[in-house]
Amino acid sequence: MRLEGKTALITGASRGIGQAIAQAFAREGARLVLSARTPGVVKLAHQLRDLGHEVEAVQGDVSDNESAKTLVQLCRSRFGQLDILVNNAGILTPGNLGMVRMEDARRMFEVNVLAMMNLTQFSIRLFPKGEGGSVVNMASIAGTQGIAGISAYSASKAAVVGFTRAAAKELASQRIRVNAIAPGFIDTDMARQVSPEWFQKRVDGILLGRIGHPSEIASCAVFLASDEARYVTGQILGVDGAMAV
Amino acid sequence: MQKQRLIKCFVDSLGVESSTVEGLTYNSVRQWDSVGHMALVAAIESEFNLMLDTDEIIAMSSFSAVSEILGKHGVASS
Repeated sequence: MRLEGKTALITGASRGIGQAIAQAFAREGARLVLSARTPGVVKLAHQLRDLGHEVEAVQGDVSDNESAKTLVQLCRSRFGQLDILVNNAGILTPGNLGMVRMEDARRMFEVNVLAMMNLTQFSIRLFPKGEGGSVVNMASIAGTQGIAGISAYSASKAAVVGFTRAAAKELASQRIRVNAIAPGFIDTDMARQVSPEWFQKRVDGILLGRIGHPSEIASCAVFLASDEARYVTGQILGVDGAMAV
Repeated sequence: MQKQRLIKCFVDSLGVESSTVEGLTYNSVRQWDSVGHMALVAAIESEFNLMLDTDEIIAMSSFSAVSEILGKHGVASS
């Protein structure tokens, strides 16, 4: 098992990509602390515990500073340390330019960017001294390429890319690796919230001919979190089936 | 007693002599740079089982400043 003996904190774990990552990490032997705003995260933790995995779950808003602190404190009190942080929590509010509410844009930056930065700051203190650790951020093809109709989301994910590259350089001396995954069009609730026309247009633009599955992102997250990727840092791994945007 | 625990945090995380700790300020010795600072924060948080805010971490510019900040978390300076 590739993550045996490691403790991982995963945000946005109640559904979609986050849930798939939690399940994959558990299968690979990781101890888990899961977070999400919705109660599904508690249910997921129960399911994983029933399968014999060590899992804690906290329902809360990771963009809230106290909630972020509580999460990291739980990692310390329950497992004594942290080896892997997956900053997966994210929100998407679509809107064409001219109709983007600044309140919506600000909220996307709070969750997609500032919460990631804050939790990273808290979490790296628990990484074993001298032994490093792995941070996996969830970017998006919207952040690397830009997608019309979701400009604010694209901007927030571009910020994830910039933070990932900078943090990788800053934390390399502590042997902490920082990478990001940039999913393309993945079959999640978030993808399904767009119009049917927009949905089909996106699928038509994928050269592999189909939408991606959350498990296909999770397997990449396992790789980046594991020692198999011990020489990989500062990278943005596109997982998009050769999607044109 | 708690002061000795705090001094030990400095010694263990920064690799400095215990006799020098109370006179230390941030960047006054090679070991207490930005990387050492984060190691010190981690050691303090682990030792006293607390989480410091970023503003507090930035304000930890000397041993006495650290003692004062920890006092707000209920850690006595004696």
